[in-house]
Amino acid sequence: MSELSSLLALMIFPGGLALLAAGLLYEWADRKLVAQLQNRLGPRWFQPLADTFKLLAKEEIVPQGVHKGLFWGLPVVAVAAALTAALYVPLAGLNPAAAFRGDLIVALYMLSLLTLCLGLAGANTYNRFSVIGATRTLTQLFSYEAPFMLSLLGPALVAGTWQISSINQYAAGNTWMILTQPVGFVVALVGLMGKLELPPFDAPEAETEIVSGALTEYSGRGLALFHLGKDIELVIGLTLVSAFYLGGLTNPLAFLLKTLALLLILAVLQSLFARLRIDQTVGLWWRVGALLALVQLLLVIVLKGTGVL
Amino acid sequence: MEEQVQAKNKFVVPIGPQHPALKEPGHFEFTVDGEIVVGATVRLGYAHRGIEKGCEDRNWAQGMYLVERVCGICSHIHAMTFALGAEKLANVTAPPRAQAIRLLVGELERIHSHMLWLGVQAHEGGFDTLFMYTWRDRETVMDLLEMLTGNRVNYSANVLGGVKCDVTDPIASEILKGMDFLEQRARYYLDIVSTDETFLGRTRDVGTMTKEQALRIGAIGPTGRASGLERDVRLNAPYAGYVDFPIKVVTEQGGDLLARTLVRVKELFESIRLIREVLDKLPPGEISVRMPRRVPEGAVVSRVEAPRGEVLYYMKSAGSDKPERIKIRTPSICNWATVMATAVGHKLADMPMLLAGIDPCFSCSDRSVKIVRRDDEQYMTWEALRQYGNGFYR
Amino acid sequence: MKIGVMINDLVRSLFSKPATEKYPFEKRPAPERLRGKLYWDPAKCTGCQLCVKDCPSEAIELIVLDKVNKRFVMRYHIDRCTYCGQCVENCRLECLGMSSEQWELASTKKEPFEVFYGKEEDIQELMDRLDHASATPQNRRD
Ligand code: SF4
Ligand code: SF4
Repeated sequence: MSELSSLLALMIFPGGLALLAAGLLYEWADRKLVAQLQNRLGPRWFQPLADTFKLLAKEEIVPQGVHKGLFWGLPVVAVAAALTAALYVPLAGLNPAAAFRGDLIVALYMLSLLTLCLGLAGANTYNRFSVIGATRTLTQLFSYEAPFMLSLLGPALVAGTWQISSINQYAAGNTWMILTQPVGFVVALVGLMGKLELPPFDAPEAETEIVSGALTEYSGRGLALFHLGKDIELVIGLTLVSAFYLGGLTNPLAFLLKTLALLLILAVLQSLFARLRIDQTVGLWWRVGALLALVQLLLVIVLKGTGVL
Repeated sequence: MEEQVQAKNKFVVPIGPQHPALKEPGHFEFTVDGEIVVGATVRLGYAHRGIEKGCEDRNWAQGMYLVERVCGICSHIHAMTFALGAEKLANVTAPPRAQAIRLLVGELERIHSHMLWLGVQAHEGGFDTLFMYTWRDRETVMDLLEMLTGNRVNYSANVLGGVKCDVTDPIASEILKGMDFLEQRARYYLDIVSTDETFLGRTRDVGTMTKEQALRIGAIGPTGRASGLERDVRLNAPYAGYVDFPIKVVTEQGGDLLARTLVRVKELFESIRLIREVLDKLPPGEISVRMPRRVPEGAVVSRVEAPRGEVLYYMKSAGSDKPERIKIRTPSICNWATVMATAVGHKLADMPMLLAGIDPCFSCSDRSVKIVRRDDEQYMTWEALRQYGNGFYR
Repeated sequence: MKIGVMINDLVRSLFSKPATEKYPFEKRPAPERLRGKLYWDPAKCTGCQLCVKDCPSEAIELIVLDKVNKRFVMRYHIDRCTYCGQCVENCRLECLGMSSEQWELASTKKEPFEVFYGKEEDIQELMDRLDHASATPQNRRD
């Protein structure tokens, strides 16, 4: 029985198919919101799905000189990593499919694995745009990763656990942490944008400079899988941040409202800025982001130590 | 044009002839060391269409419509330069009202071109929101042009000897209404480009060109004016309506991308002011005079300030109903060198903005191609060149 | 130093309709002066051929059936026309005009791009002649 249910959880709900569908819908919502903010029409609701099908049906062109195994394998690993990360987060406001002490770290590293795959995929080809894209992807990974982690550690420390589900429960039972740790929230949100390579942090795939960055050589199935991975990452990221900072996710309605509200903020931020150069991104993260997150963290530790929290 | 940079064992990033940064065909090679550009070359000529030669087979009126298609954005400018030159050759002067309307269309076109550029520049910098808004607002001026002349792109406002379209009262009031809206928007855009920190981060101190450099390279148009060069054909050698309606030249001292942006946005205000003035004091009378089919023998140089800088036409007539020779020098070709001169030392990420910063027009640039022939004869007589040309295009 | 200067516009458009026009479904009326399909009125035409001479793209031909009785047919190639309006400008008798309503002229076939203007019987006669000519294959087209 338990095998069957965990298999179901993995393949259908809340992992697997449901998550893919959610990812596509969230991508659509994001694109639609950005379009609305830019006073244009935007795609219809099935567009991401149609794109995926089209890409899956297309011929995959394997460029000369790449390691074939890596070329085929990396997209699969990327999606697998994203799906695995999804097991530990409270999707749709339900209890995570799996949980153990310290799963926060695992989930975060699963998400980083996705980015790592992206970087490797770019470095695997001889394409100059891909290689530059890969370098930028990895550079960016190193810059936002630490602040993003630190910003998620704040709530974890307050809750006194490294287990996502427990932090979620703690958050639901206490004041929203966006109020108690506003700096952490901002850093987490912006870190999420960096993770997802959304504008203004889209230097790794800046189309006007390096075409499509690391993914330039991907055409068919691999591209579709990477896109799916990104979509899943979007959902997971939104879930994590809203679970930690927006008072926890305890039912599907709260999940929908909170993540969509967060998505709206993301869309506004995406449309508000010009793209940062990669050096500006790194500078911003290490000079401002990491520092702010650290200060916040220290404050939390001190306050916790003195028993205020 | 080609500036060769030794690029052995270096990483070369090609941009173009097909690349999402540039929607027009041009090929650039940036040699990079990490993200830093250490060398840049340009190769043009993908959009050569043989227009100059084509003019020789067409009569004067037909030629005007051909040169109108040199560039999609400054179509009026090219037709106007051609018409002004032909009229000068034929000793015909278009009536004052026609000249004022030529100015009017020219300035409307300048607004449309500068707003288009602002959008492109924002897009190159990854600021798609600004891109969408400028292009939305550009529709206003496109609609006005369509209402006034009958087409959105190739306005065909000119005929030899005047213009086709008159300005009626309802049209004038529509244009004024449009100008009010655009002025308010231009103010908003000026605020964005001069204060938004993320956009400033991409434009400030990028591609700085000093006045001396600009002079030496021969930068013209807004690119030169952004480096403090007070050069504008509208002021230095007024033509058409600019004799009666003088302009104030907008210059900036910065010489960087920010200055180029500011010059163009501020020129919007100047154009709007001029349009209001022209509509207020539009000279009465005819809008065209008769033009002879045969143009007397002679040669003339016709110069006009296009949105991108000075357009120069050399026109020669042998007394027939067809031009003997038309030579077109467009502004983009003068400004390419500035990109190559300022690129080195900047980040690869700056390149698209730097390229777009001179408001390049590739179809404009490609007036001539270098033909590598088997016999390496360096000099040709005019006759031989002519025959070669005739053979080449046949 | 300011950041996010465009926020006003963003908020405004969040609550307003997109500027995009759903073109084939919603159409805006074209301005009165729009230069669309060319029209020719045979009644006043003198056959001076001025319009044909200055057409930059050889889009119009005036076929003379009978010069004395002023019987002409105009063959108009829509696909060659650049809608410049030079022919309209050239005709001193105002036989030519451009429609501001007919501007959606795209077609997947070649036939609609060749139009004959003129009096019914003239066109009929020209057609008969052309049919006749097409029997002798050499001189079918100009
Ligand atoms: S509008 Fe211009 S291209 Fe068309 S038929 Fe008249 S002259 Fe020729
Ligand atoms: S210019 Fe006018 S009158 Fe002359 S042939 Fe053309 S339509 Fe007829």
